[in-house]
Amino acid sequence: MPESLLAPGAVLALWTLVMLTWAAVTRFQAFSKAGIDLKSAPPGGRGVDLEGVLPPLTNWKSHNYTHLCEQPTLFYAVIVFLQLSGGDTDLTRGLAWAYVVLRIVHSFWQSTVNRIPVRFAIFFLATLCLLALSALAVIATLG
Amino acid sequence: MDTNDILGPVATLALWSMIMWVWMYATRIPAMSRAKIDAVGMVGGTGKGLDDVLPPEVQWKAHNYNHLMEQPTVFYAVAIALAIGGMGGGLNAQLAWAYVALRIVHSLVQVTVNRVMWRFGVFVLASLALLALCVHAFIGFVVH
Repeated sequence: MPESLLAPGAVLALWTLVMLTWAAVTRFQAFSKAGIDLKSAPPGGRGVDLEGVLPPLTNWKSHNYTHLCEQPTLFYAVIVFLQLSGGDTDLTRGLAWAYVVLRIVHSFWQSTVNRIPVRFAIFFLATLCLLALSALAVIATLG
Repeated sequence: MDTNDILGPVATLALWSMIMWVWMYATRIPAMSRAKIDAVGMVGGTGKGLDDVLPPEVQWKAHNYNHLMEQPTVFYAVAIALAIGGMGGGLNAQLAWAYVALRIVHSLVQVTVNRVMWRFGVFVLASLALLALCVHAFIGFVVH
């Protein structure tokens, strides 16, 4: 196992940009299929305007990128708290790696099959890891 | 070369987010009173509901503020991790400044002309700077 509790954080940050690339590549392919020219897009358009315009399978990648900018930001804060307050232990590293692996599985699931009960189960497990890390961060920072 | 150099751009982008927050309300509140919206009696609304009611130029400020709570949060995490890991100086600090400068340009484009192609171009450049920081963090913390 790598030396730092920050390693899983670095992996998840990089994974977020992999998902951004995946979302962009599939979106541009869908643009050309749908005959959309970005140069003539009306001012102020955003990704959310593409709901119902591009196929769901395309938008799912971008939904996942958006989700990666939501709960994981709490994860980054928590592992930094742990790192700075002596909370870098085998337990917190294991939980942090589990969180990151589950989020990557969550990304693949949401981008491909995307059946909700399975996505919910993966999200739920990941959230339990984050809950444990958050509790440990409270203990570590209160000393 | 100080590993805390990278915290300069972190502080700058955080402050810029607050400036966008001020800009959002400075335009939203007058627009709401022009649109005769009674904010005092409102229950349960979110900013999204205003997309149908307020002029686009007003909502563009809010759209950008929301964007600043998305990808930049990954930037903050990576920048702080690099600083803690002793990798926050030199090239990484410069990449972080480039990211922050591009995000400020991105804000100014989105709240003014908001041509999608320009915004997209600036966003891609900023994302590439962030990608480089992420790769450096990955090499530093995982591969090393």
